[in-house]
Amino acid sequence: MSELPELFARASRELAFTCDASGVVTWADARAQRLLSLQPGARFDRHAAPGTEAKIAWLLSSALAKEERGWELALVVGGKPATAVFSAAPHQGGVAFLGSLVPEDYGAIVEQVTSAMAEIVTLNRDTARQKKVIEQRHLEVVSLNRSLEDSMRAVKAMHAELEDRAEALRRSVDVRGRVVSNVSHEFRTPLHAMLGLSQLLLDEADGPLSGEQRKQINFIRQGTEQLSQMVNDLLDLAKIEAGKVIIRSAKFAVGELFGALRGMLAPLGREGNLVQLVFEEPPGDLLLETDLAKVSQVMRNLISNALKFTQAGEVRISAARMANGFTRLTVRDTGFGIAPCDHERVFEEFEQIPGPEQARVRGTGLGLPISRRIATLLGGTLTLESELGQGASFTLTLPLIHPEVQEMEALTQRSKSLDPARKPVLVVEDERETLFAYEQYLAPGGYQVIPARTVDEARSVLLRMRPAAILLDIMLEHESTWTFLSELKRNPDTADIPVLVMTIVNKAQKARALGADEFWLKPIDKDRLLRKLDSISTKGAITRVLIIDDDQAARYLIRQYLSGSEFRLIEASTGPEGVRLAQERLPHVIFLDFLLQDATAFEVLDELKSNPRTRSIPVILNTAYQLDEEQVARLSGLTEAIIAKQHLSRELAINRIRDALGGAGLGAHGAQGG
Amino acid sequence: MTGTDPIVEVRARYLAAQLAGDRRRALELLAESVKAHGLSAAQVQLQVIQEAQREIGQLWQENRITIAQEHMATSISQLALAQIFQSAPSAAPNGRRVLVACVEGEMHEFPTQLAADTLDLAGFEVRFLGANVPTDSLLAMIDEIAPEVLALSCAMLFNVPSLREAVRRVRARPGPRLPILVGGHALEWSPELATSLGADGFGSDALALLSETRRVLGMPVV
Repeated sequence: MSELPELFARASRELAFTCDASGVVTWADARAQRLLSLQPGARFDRHAAPGTEAKIAWLLSSALAKEERGWELALVVGGKPATAVFSAAPHQGGVAFLGSLVPEDYGAIVEQVTSAMAEIVTLNRDTARQKKVIEQRHLEVVSLNRSLEDSMRAVKAMHAELEDRAEALRRSVDVRGRVVSNVSHEFRTPLHAMLGLSQLLLDEADGPLSGEQRKQINFIRQGTEQLSQMVNDLLDLAKIEAGKVIIRSAKFAVGELFGALRGMLAPLGREGNLVQLVFEEPPGDLLLETDLAKVSQVMRNLISNALKFTQAGEVRISAARMANGFTRLTVRDTGFGIAPCDHERVFEEFEQIPGPEQARVRGTGLGLPISRRIATLLGGTLTLESELGQGASFTLTLPLIHPEVQEMEALTQRSKSLDPARKPVLVVEDERETLFAYEQYLAPGGYQVIPARTVDEARSVLLRMRPAAILLDIMLEHESTWTFLSELKRNPDTADIPVLVMTIVNKAQKARALGADEFWLKPIDKDRLLRKLDSISTKGAITRVLIIDDDQAARYLIRQYLSGSEFRLIEASTGPEGVRLAQERLPHVIFLDFLLQDATAFEVLDELKSNPRTRSIPVILNTAYQLDEEQVARLSGLTEAIIAKQHLSRELAINRIRDALGGAGLGAHGAQGG
Repeated sequence: MTGTDPIVEVRARYLAAQLAGDRRRALELLAESVKAHGLSAAQVQLQVIQEAQREIGQLWQENRITIAQEHMATSISQLALAQIFQSAPSAAPNGRRVLVACVEGEMHEFPTQLAADTLDLAGFEVRFLGANVPTDSLLAMIDEIAPEVLALSCAMLFNVPSLREAVRRVRARPGPRLPILVGGHALEWSPELATSLGADGFGSDALALLSETRRVLGMPVV
């Protein structure tokens, strides 16, 4: 029992001490000395945690007067913070303290909680900040959207306004063009009468003329000729402006062109041969593929101008090949030339350079402007080099091959190989430019344009392939177009190909009556066209493919290859079933396995070829078996293609089917009619 | 502030809720008072919450509450600050970076947190390092964060030497001079202290810090 008080002394966290009124320790018990290192003579508040000295002072002054209980004091013990709870009471003019140290664990836990909270606060601020940034971004996006919408509306409005203006301009140009061409036509008749009648008078068919009368009538005739020339030029100009000029390209040698020009223009050489017309020999292999008539018109114009403005010397015509596929045709004269400041004016309508010479040889003022426009139409330029008094040199620079011809060539080339990833659309259209436009419209929508510029071309295309749709956009005035439409719809092989008729003349009723699936007036809206094609071309042409193969995996593979294509698969797992299905369903193409369990390919082929209904269906032999030469020879007469199974891919399968359809003439198998 | 000031009443009710440990009530009455009296976020932060916290400190000093109660009350105020921070309207970010820290030994994080929040809501990019940042760490963070302004907080007078040391060592860094603002309870006793420390500005509360920050950055003081 004697150890017990000793244990209490060691374990107890209770301590007692006394201070005088000024806070100096006067007595401390053993625990106060041990736990708080309190020594008599030292100040108690020396142990206060920094900043809490005031609380000790407060307790001291308060306990001098009366007993105080439960004071928490923050202390520093051995350099570490500690908390103790004290009771204090007046004692001999000073204060007696009885305290209890709060276990250190509590203090540590409170520290932990405090720092955990600090971290949570930091996290919270970060999260809140991020949330605000996101909200801010969202607001920015929303307002950006709004301003985009606004500007879109503005652009739309502007677009509509522009459209209106363009329309008004088009209308006024149209009106002007019509006025010019109508007036010109109206002029022509009386002009021709005047020309004819003046000639009659000059021929003295109705009696002889006096010298003066002859002179007067000659004046009338010259005036009339000039007027007539002007009317012709005006008509040309109106046509070019209205965009009604059609380029008719043909291949010709520059030598031939020069020959023809020489024949036409030699009589224009000056009387007395003061001016020589010289055609230099062009390079023999200089060939052009462009509109001969138009090149000739420009050259004629340039040469007759040169002859007009040259009094002595020569007019020399030459040709040279240039780099990058262009040629240069030059008309050089030794006339009085044109000052550089006037070079551009000569190409403006109704402009004539003032001067004594020019006054002598009046023209219409339209020749050079028309020539320059034609040069542009041909993809080239017309330029002038001249100094006053040094003669003039006009140069027509032309691409060897007209750009439209090149593009058309490229388009035709592209259409020759069918792209398995695209649906072919036959576009029957005689204007190249429109064909190009269709290609631009349709290519991004997953269609391949197969061009045909005549009905006959279209017919021959249909013999080798089957388009997903046909766009018929040719001059519907021609009866042949209508015949072609009704022909398409009467033929069971092509009747199900959707036909869209696009035109500028409203003949909807006639088109519908002949079976057109759609009739649209130009201009065509690109998006609407694509939508329409998408909707009709899928439900339109369906090509049935029969696969005869006892290997389930092989059938599965083909099925996967053809999924998403325009081909519908019919499956047969045995030879007899295949033959039966071929007769019932009349597929467009048959995929046949070489070695079936119950039959060989030869037996199946014999059955198919002996029946007139199935005879013409193209067969693609699909085999995993290495065929010997004799087998290959035998099979090649009976099948369209032989594919080794290990080489089969989606592209190959689709291409072979297409080839087979093309090889069979597509319409020839009569499947649709059966 | 007069007795009829609604803020005084709100503060008293807030303090009561804090001491009762009723954090829901404390938050509710702050939200209500914002609505009812149209108090701004800054008013609630500074005149209600911060003042209530001071009073809490005083109550402990007078031994009218325990350390445990003080912690509970402080945690409620932290929650309130978080809520205000989240819901208060923020100015658009201005891209100016300010580093805020309590000096080494300084445990009074609360008023500094509040000042940091105020800067943050005003659009500054604030990095707050918290209580008791050893001066070595402070220097390392300055290099890492590259702030345009450094704000140091010191609440207790006995931490002034540590503040003086921090200012001296930041000044001793090579490179461009970093503006230093000092603030906190300790500075309130002696405004001359800031000048003697060689600081660029001084403020006793969050709003003062905000205007001083704008001033040293040459921004219009709103």
